[in-house]
Order: sequence, then structure tokens, then C-alpha cells
Amino acid sequence: MNKRIIFALLYRDGNFFLSRNFSLQKVGDVNWLKNNFGFGETCHFIDELMIIMVKKSPSLEDYKKYFEDIYELRKNIFVPITLGGGIRNLENAKNCFLNGADKVLINTSFYKDGDLINEINYNYGSKAITLMLDYKIKTENLGRVIFTDCGTKNYHKLNNEIISKISNSDCGEVIINSIDQDGTGAGLDFEALDLFPLNFKKPLLLMGGSGKPEHIKEALNKDQLSGIVTANLFNFLGTGLEISRNMAINSGIKLAKFEKLDLNT
Amino acid sequence: MSLKKVGIIDYGCGNLASVINAIKYLKYDVEIIKKNNNLEHFSHLILPGVGSFRAGMEKLKSESWDTALKNYVEGKGKLLGICLGMQLLFNFGEEDGQTEGLNFFKGKCIKLNTYSKFPLPHIGFNSVSHNNSSIWSEIKNDSFFYFVHSYAIKELEEKYDCGTTNYSEKFISYIENGSVFGAQFHPEKSHLAGLKFIKNFIEQ
Repeated sequence: MNKRIIFALLYRDGNFFLSRNFSLQKVGDVNWLKNNFGFGETCHFIDELMIIMVKKSPSLEDYKKYFEDIYELRKNIFVPITLGGGIRNLENAKNCFLNGADKVLINTSFYKDGDLINEINYNYGSKAITLMLDYKIKTENLGRVIFTDCGTKNYHKLNNEIISKISNSDCGEVIINSIDQDGTGAGLDFEALDLFPLNFKKPLLLMGGSGKPEHIKEALNKDQLSGIVTANLFNFLGTGLEISRNMAINSGIKLAKFEKLDLNT
Repeated sequence: MSLKKVGIIDYGCGNLASVINAIKYLKYDVEIIKKNNNLEHFSHLILPGVGSFRAGMEKLKSESWDTALKNYVEGKGKLLGICLGMQLLFNFGEEDGQTEGLNFFKGKCIKLNTYSKFPLPHIGFNSVSHNNSSIWSEIKNDSFFYFVHSYAIKELEEKYDCGTTNYSEKFISYIENGSVFGAQFHPEKSHLAGLKFIKNFIEQ
């Protein structure tokens, strides 16, 4: 199977954000993103787009604005889209699908409501569920620890028990996201992959820390990973994703090749 | 027909937002249609769909879309089935119980083989080896398109112009005969190649 490069946008209250160790810095609204980054063009070089609601406990009004802005953004983007963040019930997930999601992103709810992921699977299939796991590297021999609620609550050590539970769950894929590496551009936490057994049943993707094309190539070269997720707006928009994709393809990594075509002929 | 108008069939099987979005982007007139009594107003119809073959056919039949589509095609209207919509154009599907399809093409829709390296559903971008017919105009052979499916047409019972894709085994990812076209992939989620494919269909 081809590897994947996924770009993630972080959204809250009508704006998109840069994140560093889960501290958010506003960069602009949907028009700003379109006008300053040529966002439609950039998406020619990604396999999937993810738009993550990074507000803790978003209200229905928050979701309404989120979907309105996504509608604007989607007008010139033709790739599979994952929506989510703050999904607490089937209705939240259903609204994401109705507003253009191919997959929904589940995070905190996975630990708090064991039935939700089963319900989404029953209605939309496991292929439509992406589980994101945020973690921090703790000192004092605690190893890596899962954090929930936008990285604010310490949940559980990332150990074999949790990994086995994830492996046997109804999600279709798993993204592990390092809060320590998030937004640093300093490289990814590949050591976290050692925690996952070779017989882990889900496609595994890594997020947090990619800052240059070489980081993306390095991640895609890992047998355990089916893809990489980056939310690093400033490092990868413009020509960054095109350069990263071409560098990976030229090094022999199996990635889909997307043609540049003139639609006016 | 010089004036193009595209109808997207809403029979309760799937999310239409991305298909509408793509056609609007290409600046064609597009409408969602729930009733089939005025199909002659549309130069092109798109039959999308997610879910099982059986559920899809039951929904189509319950609203008499099977007869309406046959009449539409006999009147030389152009029809494109996408994903489940393509599968339903065939005469038989085994998903969720053996079911007769719309019978525009002869072939069976059956489950893909699965191995550890090829889990089902088959999800992601994969290449299509195509026949260079006019719907593929300016789209390179082996271009990449987005797939999400577990069932596929593996063998054809009659000869048609078609395209193929490999995922654990070779399957029919594109088919055409006269004014009926089918794509197992989602052109509306397949970058510029997908948009070009949709444009070429509408310009047929």
C-alpha cells in the first residue's frame, strides 16, 4: 500500500492556529488561509486533509461555525477529509459526515465512552474512524503518558494494556501525536514506535515534530508507519509539501503521484 | 446536447457534498435529484453511493430508479456510477446477500481477496490502468485515484472498454459501454486527475 502524507489544520472559534507543545498561536481565518497560503494549490501534494477542532468541549454553535468555515475551505480542495476533535456522541460524528468528512477523529472519547467508537463503527464502518492519541514523555521512569482533553489531563501510561485495547478497538487507524515534539520542527519521536508490537492491527501514523522535508522522508521510510501527519503551517505550506513529496518519491518511497493538469483545456 | 446539466441522484446512499462541490468547481449546472420524473432535463446523471450492494439496490428499486435509469440511458442520457454506484450498474452483487443489479453490464461484484499486506477495505490512492478512451483525455495512464471499498468486479462476462487496478488482485476499476460509465474510485476526491475525469464525463 502507498504511504500517506496528511496535513492537519488546527481550528478554533473561526481561526486557524499554529501549535507548539499544544500552546496555540492564532494565524488567521479561512480567507487568510486561502489568500496567504494558496491553500487549494498546496493540497495538490497531500493524500488527505485533517481539520481538527482544538477547542475543549465545543458547543453546537462552535461546530456550526466550524462547518461553515470548512464549507468555504472545501470549495477548492478535492482530497479525502477527516473532521473531528471534541466528538462526544454519535450526533457530533454524524454532523461531521454530513459536512463532508470521510473520516472522523476521535481522541478523548475513546477513553471516556467505550461505546461511542462501536456506535460510529456500526453506522459508518471502522474505515471512517481515526483515533488520535496525544502523549507526553514523562521523566521519573514513567515513560510515555497519554493526555486527553486537548492535552490538559493526564490519563494513563502508554503501556501494553492500552496499546492492546487500541489494537482491538473498532477504529480504522491510529495517529500517535507527541505533545513534546508538537510544533518544534525538531524531528519526530520515532522511539515511541518501539512501544507498538509488530502485529499491531491498525495502520499507524506519527505526528509531532516534522519541520523539514527530510523528517517526512525519514518517517515514511519506517516500515511500521503507514503515514505522517504534520500541522506545521509555516514550514510546509507554499512549496514545502511539494518538495517533501518529491523528495520521498525520488528516494524510492511508495507514494501516490499526483499530476498537474490544466482543467481549462 | 450543448447545454449541460448534471443531476446527482440522492437515493439515501451516501454523502453527495464532495461530488456537488467538484461539479460546481468545474462551473457546470448541477442539481440533487430525489425524484425521477423529469430526468430528460438532465444531460448527465451521476449515481454515487456508499453502503452495501443489497441496501443500495433495495433503495433504488423502492423509488423505481431501476426503470427510470434504463429509460434515461435508452434516451441517450449519460450515466456515471461512482463506487457503489458503479457496482450497482452490474447484473449481480454478493454483498449482504445475493442481489440482482441494474444490469447495464454483465459481471459479478464480489469480495476482494484479503491478506495481511492487503487489508480490507481497500482505502487510499491507487493507480488505474485505463483504455485511453475520451473520458481519460489528457489523464496519464496509471494516474492515482482514491478508493474506499471491499467488493469489486473481478471478471467481466462480456467485453467492454475498461480500466483495471491492482490490490491483492486485479479488479475492474473503470468501465464504459455506450452512454453508461462506471468508476470504482472517487474522482471527486482525487485531485486534478479526478476533476479532469469528471469534466471529461460531462463533456461526453
